[in-house]
Amino acid sequence: MSNKRLTFKKRLHIIKHQLRGKKLAPAFNAFHTFLFTPDETTHSGGHIRAADDLKRTMNTVIIALIPVLLFSMFNAGYQYYSAVNGFPENFSVWNDFLTWDNFWIGIIKVLPLVVVSYGVGLLVEFIFAVIKGHEVEEGYLVTGMLVPLIVPIDTPLWMLAVAVVFGVIIGKEVFGGTGMNILNPALTIRAFLFFAYPTWMSGDKVWVYQGMERAGTPDAISGETILGYLAQNSQNEFSYTVSDMFFGFIPGSVGETSTFLILLGGLFLIFSKIASWRIMVSAVAGALAMGLIFNGVVDAGWITESSKFYGLMSFDFWKHLIVGGLAFGIVYMATDPVTGSQTNRGKWIYGFLIGFISVMIRVFNPAYPEGVFLAILLMNVFAPTIDHYVVQANVKRRMKRFKNAVILPKDAEEAKLKVETI
Amino acid sequence: MLEHTELFFKSIFIDNMVFATFLGMCSYLAVSKKVSTAVGLGAAVIFVLAVTVPLNWLLDQYLLRDGALSWLGPEYADYNLSFLSFILFIATIATMVQLVEIVVEKFSPALYNSLGIFLPLIAVNCAILGGSLFMQAREIPSLGLAFNYGLSSGIGWFLAILAIAAIREKIRYSNVPPPLRGLGITFIITGLMAIGFMSFGGMLTGGDEAAPVPEETAVQKKAEEEKMNLEEETEQTTVSYNAIEKE
Repeated sequence: MSNKRLTFKKRLHIIKHQLRGKKLAPAFNAFHTFLFTPDETTHSGGHIRAADDLKRTMNTVIIALIPVLLFSMFNAGYQYYSAVNGFPENFSVWNDFLTWDNFWIGIIKVLPLVVVSYGVGLLVEFIFAVIKGHEVEEGYLVTGMLVPLIVPIDTPLWMLAVAVVFGVIIGKEVFGGTGMNILNPALTIRAFLFFAYPTWMSGDKVWVYQGMERAGTPDAISGETILGYLAQNSQNEFSYTVSDMFFGFIPGSVGETSTFLILLGGLFLIFSKIASWRIMVSAVAGALAMGLIFNGVVDAGWITESSKFYGLMSFDFWKHLIVGGLAFGIVYMATDPVTGSQTNRGKWIYGFLIGFISVMIRVFNPAYPEGVFLAILLMNVFAPTIDHYVVQANVKRRMKRFKNAVILPKDAEEAKLKVETI
Repeated sequence: MLEHTELFFKSIFIDNMVFATFLGMCSYLAVSKKVSTAVGLGAAVIFVLAVTVPLNWLLDQYLLRDGALSWLGPEYADYNLSFLSFILFIATIATMVQLVEIVVEKFSPALYNSLGIFLPLIAVNCAILGGSLFMQAREIPSLGLAFNYGLSSGIGWFLAILAIAAIREKIRYSNVPPPLRGLGITFIITGLMAIGFMSFGGMLTGGDEAAPVPEETAVQKKAEEEKMNLEEETEQTTVSYNAIEKE
């Protein structure tokens, strides 16, 4: 039988057997299992054969992220040309947004972020796998996609690379790799960038292509995020309409702007049962609750218009959901099954506090108008505590039920049975 | 009331003893292996802080600081005994810790055994002495606020040790690289937790610590200066009007 007749799948299996026991085996197996289910059969113990292994789970999340990525590539160009030429007067999606010019900016700015994130992150993963002699872990597949989507577009590539190395090693590998980390690695990377290079992570220059290069020159351009604007000004006067905010034609981190596509991605994740709907629902409820409290404070007149918190406090409570990274954080990062709460009741508490604290940080902390990622990190820290107490409460409840259980004497049981049969 | 609430949340989250000042690390690292013992130690720290800070406030107010002895008579007004702060504060703390030890041994022998040496070591826990010294340095104005400060610092420390104990229970079966097992990974976790707590940094104070955009601050400064100038002018005018009225 010549090699030509073999299918691609079969050939990969043959190469796999040739490489068995060699140093590069983990590297090859990583690519192989990315495409196909392994052909090994287990010989001991009981096993369930299921299609939804870790790689399929990760791929599902990536599929949910691809529309967001494509949109962000168009939006990169749209924000750039709007900042240079002014906003188009009669905005139409086909003529002004989905154009080749816009997409080209996306290709030269967004794609390198994705490539660097995956390249550096997977390199670290491969090195660790070869040193420790285990299979390459799948955890970075989603992290690598999330990272370029949550940074400002003008982030220098070397910064991203440094942060990715930090996040993968300190955030994940020191704990033993995928599934054992306590903080979401993508958010660790974002937090590292935020605290190490604050000027590149906030302000009004970084959200548009070439914003930092042109700063201080006559061609300076700026595109401020809505939250950044509100933190500085107390009036709700900006040119973006609610539909702009909802569909995402606003400046912001690369992939966080389009609430509409994030919502679709979230629904996809819920229906494929990858992400927890409990966390999403309770996080939205938490954000709305905090927004309502702040609106109530403004309506009651407890705060004057000159206060530095007025701008964000008077912002309609439901609009918090469609600006900034709240939607993106809730759908793709709060629902991380490793770092989030594991118990069902814990998930409600965990999600609610994420939404609640996000909006609180947005309003009370003018230095960090983008508080979502910090709120999720904070709740990642407390998730094990929440779980511990939920489990303890459950144990206590069941012990109580066991103690109070009345065990019928045998005769009574028989009598009851008789009555029932008659 | 407002200053009480502000101090309360500030001491728990923003100036957290562990994550903002890294105080009280020794018992924080050593007794955080199990949630139940961590809760016991955390409660003891809350109690000791909440009692010693107001006591030391009284000492500071009526004995130690510059001019504190003036209640004895005008001739004592010049004495400044603040060089005795350390020894007096520590004496108060050691007494309180002895008290806690006796109470815990009597009512919860199991907790007493699991805390072991770390219960008497609360006396030299730097978070406790730190609480009293911060109270002195920040010139907390009243006994009620001092009590509030001690209590909320203790709660902050309690939250920190509770969170890390739960995390350490969770990672017990993690495949941590052998050189990092035990204290090494705990230090790394503490650092990562501090990043989570940084979300509160600069809250309420208006973000003075974070780097703002330079041009805007320049503009703001200018506006402030103009505002100050305007205020001065108005003050001068009012003064002159008053002078006219007097005449």
